Amino acid sequence: MADPVPSKLRRSAVTRRSFLKTLGVAGATVGAAPAFLRSPAAAQDFQLRAADPAAKPGGTLRFGILNAPAHFDVHQSGTIANLGPQAPMYDLLIRRDPRDGNTIIPDLAYKWDVAPDGKKYTFHLRKGVKFHDGAEMTADDIKATYERIVRPPKGVVIPRSSLFTAVGEIVILDPYRIEFRLTESRPRAFMLGAFASGWNIVVRKKTLDDNGGNLRQVMNFPGTGPFRHVSRKDKEVWIQERNPNYWNKGLPYLDRLEIYNLPPFSPELGAAFLSGKVDYARIMDPVSWRKAKEMPGVTATAMNQSVIQAYFFNMKRKPFADPKVRRALHLATDRHVLVDVVKDTAPMQVGGFVYPFHEWSTPKAEMEKRIGYQKDPKAAIQEAKKLMAEAGYAQGLKNLDFVVRDIASFKLWAVAIQAMLKENLNVETNLRVVQTSQWFEEAGSGNFDLAISAIVSSLMDPSDYFTAWYGKGGPQNYSGWTNEEFHSLAHNLEREVDENKRKAMIPRAEAILENDPPLVPVAWEQIYDAFYNRVHGQNATKFFGIYDVTRWDTVWMTQS
Amino acid sequence: MFALTTVIGVSMIVFVVLRILPGDPLVALLGVEGHAKMTPADRAVIMKDLGFSDSLPVQYGRWLRDIASGQLGKSFFRGDTVRDLILHRGPLSAEIAILALIISWLVGLPVGIISAVRPNGWADAITRFLSILFIAIPGFWLSMLAVLALLFWFGYKAPILVVHVWENPWQNLQIILGPAVVLGLAQGAYIARMSRSCLLEVIREDYVRTARAKGAVERAVVLRHALPNALLPVITISGVLLGFVLGGSVAVEQAFGVPGLGRALVTAIVERDIIVVQNLVLLYALIFVVVNVLVDLSYAWLDPRIRYH
Repeated sequence: MADPVPSKLRRSAVTRRSFLKTLGVAGATVGAAPAFLRSPAAAQDFQLRAADPAAKPGGTLRFGILNAPAHFDVHQSGTIANLGPQAPMYDLLIRRDPRDGNTIIPDLAYKWDVAPDGKKYTFHLRKGVKFHDGAEMTADDIKATYERIVRPPKGVVIPRSSLFTAVGEIVILDPYRIEFRLTESRPRAFMLGAFASGWNIVVRKKTLDDNGGNLRQVMNFPGTGPFRHVSRKDKEVWIQERNPNYWNKGLPYLDRLEIYNLPPFSPELGAAFLSGKVDYARIMDPVSWRKAKEMPGVTATAMNQSVIQAYFFNMKRKPFADPKVRRALHLATDRHVLVDVVKDTAPMQVGGFVYPFHEWSTPKAEMEKRIGYQKDPKAAIQEAKKLMAEAGYAQGLKNLDFVVRDIASFKLWAVAIQAMLKENLNVETNLRVVQTSQWFEEAGSGNFDLAISAIVSSLMDPSDYFTAWYGKGGPQNYSGWTNEEFHSLAHNLEREVDENKRKAMIPRAEAILENDPPLVPVAWEQIYDAFYNRVHGQNATKFFGIYDVTRWDTVWMTQS
Repeated sequence: MFALTTVIGVSMIVFVVLRILPGDPLVALLGVEGHAKMTPADRAVIMKDLGFSDSLPVQYGRWLRDIASGQLGKSFFRGDTVRDLILHRGPLSAEIAILALIISWLVGLPVGIISAVRPNGWADAITRFLSILFIAIPGFWLSMLAVLALLFWFGYKAPILVVHVWENPWQNLQIILGPAVVLGLAQGAYIARMSRSCLLEVIREDYVRTARAKGAVERAVVLRHALPNALLPVITISGVLLGFVLGGSVAVEQAFGVPGLGRALVTAIVERDIIVVQNLVLLYALIFVVVNVLVDLSYAWLDPRIRYH
């Protein structure tokens, strides 16, 4: 069964000529799937274009983003410091459409089939795709890439491996067809989302073989992407040029990319953008972003990010084993105030335990009526006091060790939360600010009562973060939380292929999390971008996260 | 010999301290998500790859070998050599330090002389007030004020690239001038205080009175007879102050956004890049020791009495 792709893709991605050709090939075919994905010959014609037909080639884009990665191995990374500068040099098997940030479209695979039972994914690869070193990309490279992601060798840690736990065998059918055989079914949207994750760049089998499977210190390994490495100065700039042999004819539009190292939310990034030293700035601080918004000839955009800011409980310590105490703290935390507290430091929005902007989560208007999320916190505080009394802590708690990561927003929040807990519940906390590296040591060894940090997911699909954040033994379940009813529900959610049934499970999961909180959601992160209007072709308003759409291949400029 | 012992002592202290500090350096390497998913077996392999599973003496020996080879080891993360880092960013920091030292003398010495020749007058009062003020104000705070002033009045924006003096002298000067002035003024205040007190002491000496009695003009008495003899302690303190300039440059470079060695050190500390930190701290210690040895040697050149002894 060919995978359906929305009609808007057909509308905007296909040229008039290829559309007419495709129409001819597909004329006799009936069904929802786009014609160009049904016939390999026609599908290979699929070429991505900028949404605007006036797009023209040429120019240099100066992009400001953190580009000082701890290493160069994109698979092993979890930070934009890697994808920011490296994503333009690589391709994926399938990808998110950069024009809307969401639709899954062909990339190195021009077509894919999913078995009716959801246990087999077959990808049909483009022919004639070359790596930057001239070698041809074949199924061997895809297999080597994914074998590494699915089952990393010892000493190689890939955060996205958990998305592919159901993948059993990866079988090469021929040099241009590869099959992923799952040991048990997974929802199609989840699996395709996993394959389209921006992190899963395709690398050469030879590159992996030559480097013992570890690319942490290999700066310039060949990709098939629209841009090629030119030079890099550590913590300054990474320069790339147009790949003249790119398989997607006409792309990229830009001749050159200059990616400057400017840390997120920093005044340096804001100043560099406002003074015109960069054309496009990503992850701006709110003060500079607001200033940019007022500037003529500048567009400032906001998008949702895949990060929740939260504080955790140490469930091994007595008061927090009781769900009533945890819910009381959850209710006594005024999220609207906390978002306001950091409004000049980092952009945030109010939300609960599920991505607040996901189609399955409780709508915002309804959420604001829910106790704990209302703008007027009186009812929530009253309920919190009642719960503390029922738990036997009517007099409050004393001397709680509150471990805080040494990052501006966490320090601001910690002080505000300390005041809220004291005022509302007579819970006294001692703040202990520690460096990030120490925070994880303290959290891992359970040396805290409360601890504030941020956690990240790869996909918006709940099955990803329900396992990582709230799962039993989940890698980011710092509270050590367990709830059998929830775990059973999450298990079923991960395996259910009927989207309607999955959607129906979310309110049940939310109810469990509200009454037996594994953490206290503080806020959900947003990303502020700004660019001069000479930059076109980037629609950063609908993106989910900054990780899947940083290739710049459909971006073009009217002047440089 | 003492200098060598000091450098070896510093190397041992910094080596040990960096390895016993709390916090897991692999958090920065693997990121938050990756670190959370790392198994103990992965940790063992990574620590072995990085050379951190060896005993401390073995690691220390390896570092000495890296120093002897001139590469100074590789960054914990990206594999760039520390030597390349120093060669790329060091010139900026060196320029800032030298210019700061020149500014400190150009400002401090005249102020000290003016203050000493008319003690307790209004000029002395003003210069003493200013010198105490600049000693008291922390460099990083003054830097932030300077950055704001430059931003609002001259539209200053922090540099985003290293520009060496041989590539573009004008852009290079724009990068180094601000930090050099801030550091130079603070050190100039010390020079002014020291030169004033030394000059006041010397100016009462018999040979100065004799020079005056012989009819030498006051300018010649101060500049040719008194000042050379008052300079010895000022030179001594300049050696010490160079240490302050190096230390102060870490915060000042950060405030001005100058991509020099000081900023590289701050970044390395935040990243827990042990190899970079230990080499940069050792380099700073080495410069400090060498400058002080040179200052000691210059005594003999400046004061013949020391040569005779």
